[in-house]
Amino acid sequence: MTPSANTLPVPNTLTAVVVSRGLDTLLRFCLEALGRALDACATLDRWTVVVVDNGSPSPYLREAFPGVELLRFDCGRSFAAANNAAVREYPADFYLLVNNDVLMERQSVADMLAVIAGAANVGVCGTRMLFPDGTIQHCGVVFSSSVGPYHDHRRKPADIVHRTDRDLQAVTGACVLIRHQVWTELGGFDEQYGFGLEDIDFCLRARQMGWRIVCCNRTDSLHFESMTPGRVELDVASRALFDRRWRGRYTVDG
Amino acid sequence: MSPRVRSSIAAGAVATRSTGSAVEISAIVHTRDSEATLDRALRSLRWVSELIVVDMESGDGTREIATRYGARILTASPAPRVDGIRNRYLTEASNEWLFVLDSDESVAADAADAVERLLDEHASAFDAFAIPRFNRIGDHVLRGSGWYPDHQIRLFRRGTVEWSDTTHQPPRVVTGLNRLLHLTPPDCLHIHHRNFRDLREFIERQAAYAINDRYPTEPEGFAFSDALARAYGELAERRAGSVDGDLSQALAMIMAWDQVIRGLLHWEGLEPRPPLDASAALPIAVARLDPQVASRRTRVLRMRAQLKGRLNRHPKLLGALREMRRRLRSVRGEGA
Repeated sequence: MTPSANTLPVPNTLTAVVVSRGLDTLLRFCLEALGRALDACATLDRWTVVVVDNGSPSPYLREAFPGVELLRFDCGRSFAAANNAAVREYPADFYLLVNNDVLMERQSVADMLAVIAGAANVGVCGTRMLFPDGTIQHCGVVFSSSVGPYHDHRRKPADIVHRTDRDLQAVTGACVLIRHQVWTELGGFDEQYGFGLEDIDFCLRARQMGWRIVCCNRTDSLHFESMTPGRVELDVASRALFDRRWRGRYTVDG
Repeated sequence: MSPRVRSSIAAGAVATRSTGSAVEISAIVHTRDSEATLDRALRSLRWVSELIVVDMESGDGTREIATRYGARILTASPAPRVDGIRNRYLTEASNEWLFVLDSDESVAADAADAVERLLDEHASAFDAFAIPRFNRIGDHVLRGSGWYPDHQIRLFRRGTVEWSDTTHQPPRVVTGLNRLLHLTPPDCLHIHHRNFRDLREFIERQAAYAINDRYPTEPEGFAFSDALARAYGELAERRAGSVDGDLSQALAMIMAWDQVIRGLLHWEGLEPRPPLDASAALPIAVARLDPQVASRRTRVLRMRAQLKGRLNRHPKLLGALREMRRRLRSVRGEGA
């Protein structure tokens, strides 16, 4: 079931959510790049950028982030809970979740929207991101029999990795575009995940509902990865929960 | 960057809760020409089950904003200090638990969850909660000593907290201090205070507080040097250059100056007026002293002020000391 693009409803509203704690300067650059990328989306009627101030020691000030909706939480929440709350408050046709250490390429969101609008059964679209040194940070998540989900081609020089859009079982939540319908069907991220793997869990659940997950590899955005102080690579409890729930239920493809 | 069209849903949305039902809490907000900040304050309180706005003769749009949020509006007769009239309106609340917010303050989007959690966990052991407060001047959130965490008693069981009629003194927990829980940052409920646009506004407000405050009128026990000691204390304790930069220096000087002004206002109301200390000097002079001498002097003066403050809380002891001094003088033949 892949209807032609002109029969699809016109995508018109988008909420971009940036969950962030501290790192004001990085956030400012992130929002600047995000704003430019959203401005380049001709198909959008309107968009809102929501910054979730997830318990920053010094709260973000409205004046410092003009044109952005600030949602302040005094008590830091999990990535899942913070995104869910923001989406609940600012519903739209599409949700773009962006980490504060991702600098979006100008054309990236327009391309992701084109991928999602190009097929009614694509529910989630990721994007290709590089480390500052030009190696691949993300171009899709694959699953190995030993470690489970991991970033395919991670740390390979970007110029030797193919650029075609690719269907996958999962993409990273560090920068992802999600249809409203998918989000509501799944009830957002599962808040049982303390930190990490809620994004992979989301994609696997979306696939169970029949949605396709695609990574749009046409542009190179920048992702510094794990910039927030005190952040651990992966929460042990989240990993255990993920294994309990999904081990043996995904296809080993990497 | 600016969104092309702001979503209409987005415009009003700030408070977010997992459950959506109101928390059984009465919020009380005092206002006086508060239209500039009130909308934000009341929007952040949409989760309370009862909202009371006590308005003191506002001539601006304050009452319209309060009406829009479904507040019960009470009219307060004009008073120089809000602290003096707070007690009178606490009894208007119909819930067991009260939340007091000022019109230039707000709470975060997760305040409802935080309050609910606090009451669930601690309502049996505590009657009142001291909540840290973020204070800001212009575009800077103060982190330095004295300005943060700046605990405020704002959430309490009805009838357990009393304010006194003086500016910015913490209210009294009637049931005792062991029924008061201080929340420990980070990751806890905060009050977000938009204090001042700039130093000019800060000075203006500080001066107004000092002028409108009440001072004891009996000359007994007054010493201008106490005011100076407090001034030096402020100067020493308020400086936090590493977190608040030059701003903290400026604020420390204003707060020191505030103590001198208060000392003079106090002195002016005394009858008869005791002589003003000849050693009186503006505390700013300390910066020109040798740092070692300055810190020694600051320490001595601060200790004197602290001792005096402690003594003042024990009127019996103070009385006994005075009586002793009087007797000593009369024994020496100096006269009372």
